[in-house]
Amino acid sequence: MSFFGFDTTLPRDRDRGPEATRGFFENPDPFAQVAQATALEDDDAIDFEDTYDGLGDQLDDDQDEFNDDTFGGGPNIKPVGKDFDFFGRTAQVADAIGEEQVRYSLQHPQAAREPLQPNVQTPAQPATISTAATSKRTGYEKYEDPGYIPDLQAKSSVWGISQKKPTEPAASRKMMSLEEVEAQMRQHGQSAPNVPAQRLPQPLADPSYPIHPQHLPTLPDGFPPIPPEFLQAQLENGALPPQMPPPPPGVPELYGGPGQLPPGVPLHHLQNANFPPQNMPPTGSRHVGPQPAQRQQQVPPPATRGAQSGMPVITTPQQLMHLTEEQRNAYLIEDAKRAKRNHKIFLLSRGNGLMTPQDKNFITRIQLQQLVAAAGNVADSDPEAVLAEDFYYQVYSQIRGAPRQHPHQPLGHFAQTYLLQTGNRLGGHGSRRAFHSADNHMQRMQQQVQRAVEAAKAKPKNKQLIIEGSLGKISFSNAKAPKPMLNIKRPDSADGAKPKKLQSDLSLSDRKSILTNLESVYNALMSMEDMERTMPPPPEEGDAEAIQEHMEWRQKVHSLNQQLWRALKVMEPIVPSSTTPHPFIALLSYPKGKKAIPRIFRHIDQEQRVTILTMIVVHLDSLDVVRLAQPVPGEAQPSLAVREAIDLFSLAIMPSLLGYVNEAPFNIIIGLLGLVIAQTHVQTVARTKVGLGILTMLLSRAEIVKEAGQASERDWQQWVEKFNVLFDTLEPALNDIFPGSINSGDDMYVWQFLAAVGIGASPEQQQRLVIAVKDRVMETVTYSKTLPADMASQRLGNVNLFMRAIGLDVELLG
Amino acid sequence: MLFFSFFKTLTNQTVTIELKNDIRIRGILKSVDQYLNIKLDDVEVLDLDKYPHLSSVKNMFIRGSVVRYVMLPRSEVDVGLLEDATRREAANQAGKAR
Amino acid sequence: MERLPLNDNPAQAQQQQQQQQSSQQSVLGPSGPMHPPGPPQLPPQMFTTAAQLLDLTDKKLVLVLRDGRKLIGVLRSWDQFANLVFQDTVERIYAGKLYADVPRGIFVVRGENVLLLGEVDLDREDEIPTSVTRAPFEEVFELKKKEDSQRKRGDKKRYTELQALGFEPEHSGEILF
Repeated sequence: MSFFGFDTTLPRDRDRGPEATRGFFENPDPFAQVAQATALEDDDAIDFEDTYDGLGDQLDDDQDEFNDDTFGGGPNIKPVGKDFDFFGRTAQVADAIGEEQVRYSLQHPQAAREPLQPNVQTPAQPATISTAATSKRTGYEKYEDPGYIPDLQAKSSVWGISQKKPTEPAASRKMMSLEEVEAQMRQHGQSAPNVPAQRLPQPLADPSYPIHPQHLPTLPDGFPPIPPEFLQAQLENGALPPQMPPPPPGVPELYGGPGQLPPGVPLHHLQNANFPPQNMPPTGSRHVGPQPAQRQQQVPPPATRGAQSGMPVITTPQQLMHLTEEQRNAYLIEDAKRAKRNHKIFLLSRGNGLMTPQDKNFITRIQLQQLVAAAGNVADSDPEAVLAEDFYYQVYSQIRGAPRQHPHQPLGHFAQTYLLQTGNRLGGHGSRRAFHSADNHMQRMQQQVQRAVEAAKAKPKNKQLIIEGSLGKISFSNAKAPKPMLNIKRPDSADGAKPKKLQSDLSLSDRKSILTNLESVYNALMSMEDMERTMPPPPEEGDAEAIQEHMEWRQKVHSLNQQLWRALKVMEPIVPSSTTPHPFIALLSYPKGKKAIPRIFRHIDQEQRVTILTMIVVHLDSLDVVRLAQPVPGEAQPSLAVREAIDLFSLAIMPSLLGYVNEAPFNIIIGLLGLVIAQTHVQTVARTKVGLGILTMLLSRAEIVKEAGQASERDWQQWVEKFNVLFDTLEPALNDIFPGSINSGDDMYVWQFLAAVGIGASPEQQQRLVIAVKDRVMETVTYSKTLPADMASQRLGNVNLFMRAIGLDVELLG
Repeated sequence: MLFFSFFKTLTNQTVTIELKNDIRIRGILKSVDQYLNIKLDDVEVLDLDKYPHLSSVKNMFIRGSVVRYVMLPRSEVDVGLLEDATRREAANQAGKAR
Repeated sequence: MERLPLNDNPAQAQQQQQQQQSSQQSVLGPSGPMHPPGPPQLPPQMFTTAAQLLDLTDKKLVLVLRDGRKLIGVLRSWDQFANLVFQDTVERIYAGKLYADVPRGIFVVRGENVLLLGEVDLDREDEIPTSVTRAPFEEVFELKKKEDSQRKRGDKKRYTELQALGFEPEHSGEILF
């Protein structure tokens, strides 16, 4: 019954007789009727009666012999008026009806869930038909014979004039029982004149809505608007005479009590052949109608109207008198507005339901089928297919903690993968959160350094350095490290400038090959994550098949690991003084390369991890975050892009490295420090946040290993040698490792580094250290006095971490 | 289906849509379909003075084919996940082409 | 929404059933109750053209077509391509600071011509912005013709220049309003 004449019913539903399923376009010549209607009315609106095709005449009335029993009528009984006591009469046969209903729905479960369709031959629905009979007799006097009714319903479904009304009652509102409704109707019938059997001229013809207010009954103040369906229905069948008197005072209660009665129920009962009997067993989806969501928007249910305006619900004019002047005005304004809106809605509503819910369902179904077809897999329940086509939505809603639609979907692993990632808020989640988690990383580093400091403090090695003459007075220099009198920025040394220039000039093909490598890394990575989801359960002893399966799975994982490892290019030979960066380091220069590291670390073994760490350490000074982060004279901090890269490195890669270093054996730490000294330009490295971070990592780990007594004497000697070389190399540059000026803020990582150096330094080295940075210490102490308390204590805390590492405290500085 | 899948996650977010005829509309994304038609609630038309016919409009259906840009809340986009979804989509397409 | 062909999954079927129970309120309604923690995974039928057009059905809408026409009427029917049937349509012509209404009757619109559909707020629709005033149709129409030809000349010139610079117009020559 779609507008375009498709037969929207499914084959299995097509067994209810031709009248029920035929749409308008299956008439012999539907347009002839439209033309006829247009000719008659010179209007677009087509009246039902003009298009009525008389199919009802062809109905098989053979099995109507029980009608009289059911309807309480007979050939000699006078016509049933509005006061027909349907409830009273049907109550006598209620049991039988109920049983029939149950039996019918058992036999036709699908039909029972279907919207109610006319079916005169189904004994289970006599009540429907009887209602139809009553309404027909009051309205459509032209069709006296009950035999017309089923067809009337079919037609009305085409034009949607009345079929939807039964669903009007919202489920949340209390329905009146049929008994109550009828009682009210009888009461109404006494006060209202008999309905004249005449049709009004079609009043709704002009598109500019010349529907005249005089057709509407005048409403007394405070009388809730008459439901448009009521008026519409009245006008349609001519039941409402222009001179209809205003409803008697008692009537408003009939509509006005919110929560008692949905508007229009009794009138539906009058007008609507299809009204489902209220006292029937619940039929669920049998209600046909416009979607109430839509309804709610257009006609706020009376229950909410009162609440909206914050007014008491007014049901009688008398009530209005008791209100204050202000309330009354507000009420009247609100009421006028409501009346106006409802009038508009009424004007719009006369074509409502042209599109039936079945039509809408049909189109929805078409679209859903298209979606399924696009997914290339008809079995929608297959979670893999859903994932393939709807990956982002499925995983995203999982991450954001949404209840899942397919609880069996193995999405947990994905959520884990990306939560791990987004839990760190890698990229895309706003810079504020990113900085926040960068802080977290700094805190972890802080903890490590603090642990080292605490451990070192337990055995102070230099009791003499107790502020002989406090920091401020120590102004001596020594032969090894004369106090620099001129603070000239060191020109970029040869190997500092060279890689910068060369590597920023990556050729297009290099870039392309790097990005291709990166994609193969991700492909391997995603395959491995998929494998993780499909891991078979641990095989039981003796279950050869399961063991076999497990072995195969492990084999696959291993080969994927190899694939990933190859794609990472970690094992490519290191070409000294090459003009192009090592392929692995090149990967890390892209944000998505950085972001891949924590995911990769989950899927590789310790040996592979140390290899990656070694590669990074060896190439420390050619990492983009070190190379491009060199301070430039005249600029307080690196460019925004570089700062973002540094933040990303700090929160994506550093935790993975730190996680490994925290467990690494001492000899590896020694080896790594040796590599830094031998392979990189230490001063370049030390001038950057990432470089210092990695050095801090190594130094504090060494201290912890030592304090824990895990370092052999030989190892420790080796370490001290390396440390001394590092110290001597760094000493002249110690003033340059601070970022920008004192008020640029973030120098916490520097103090962490200095603390880590301080712990490991000999007393003599500690002296030199103090000399090198004392200016900065004093500056910070002075500066922090100008800061709000919390910021000041934070800055002093940073300094103090270093001070305490060498056995001092800022408190002593006064 | 990647964009469809993507826009689905923006349901109930406030977005700004610029049409190919330069109208810009801000509203709450209520639904999107496979053609990327968009349903917006509580719309606000920027430069409303230029478009008096939209002055009393509260909800809107916008045909996908006339959309030029959709401006989204950045915090509601998971870039890493979106990158992976894109890779999967590419792999799917390649698989289908074969 | 009963008997959708996607019901094979029992979990989903169950959910559909729940939906069915609440279908007194809404069969497809996108305005269904939202569960508080995070956006719930929404049923697939919510993401269809049908769901989008559903609550616009039988409502007074303003329909803007790609050629710039503005039609005000009641949406009576539609399909999955957003082909539309409008009843009691009035075309509202704007030109300069004037506008005029022309009754048009029933419109069947092919989906590709639709630019947007806006639901008219019945409480606000009579508040015509002060920037425009109503005028007789003939007057507005004349003004509009003038404006149109002026703009067409301007557009043509601009496109020619753009094309000379190697730009293809956004809508491949078709003019959107």
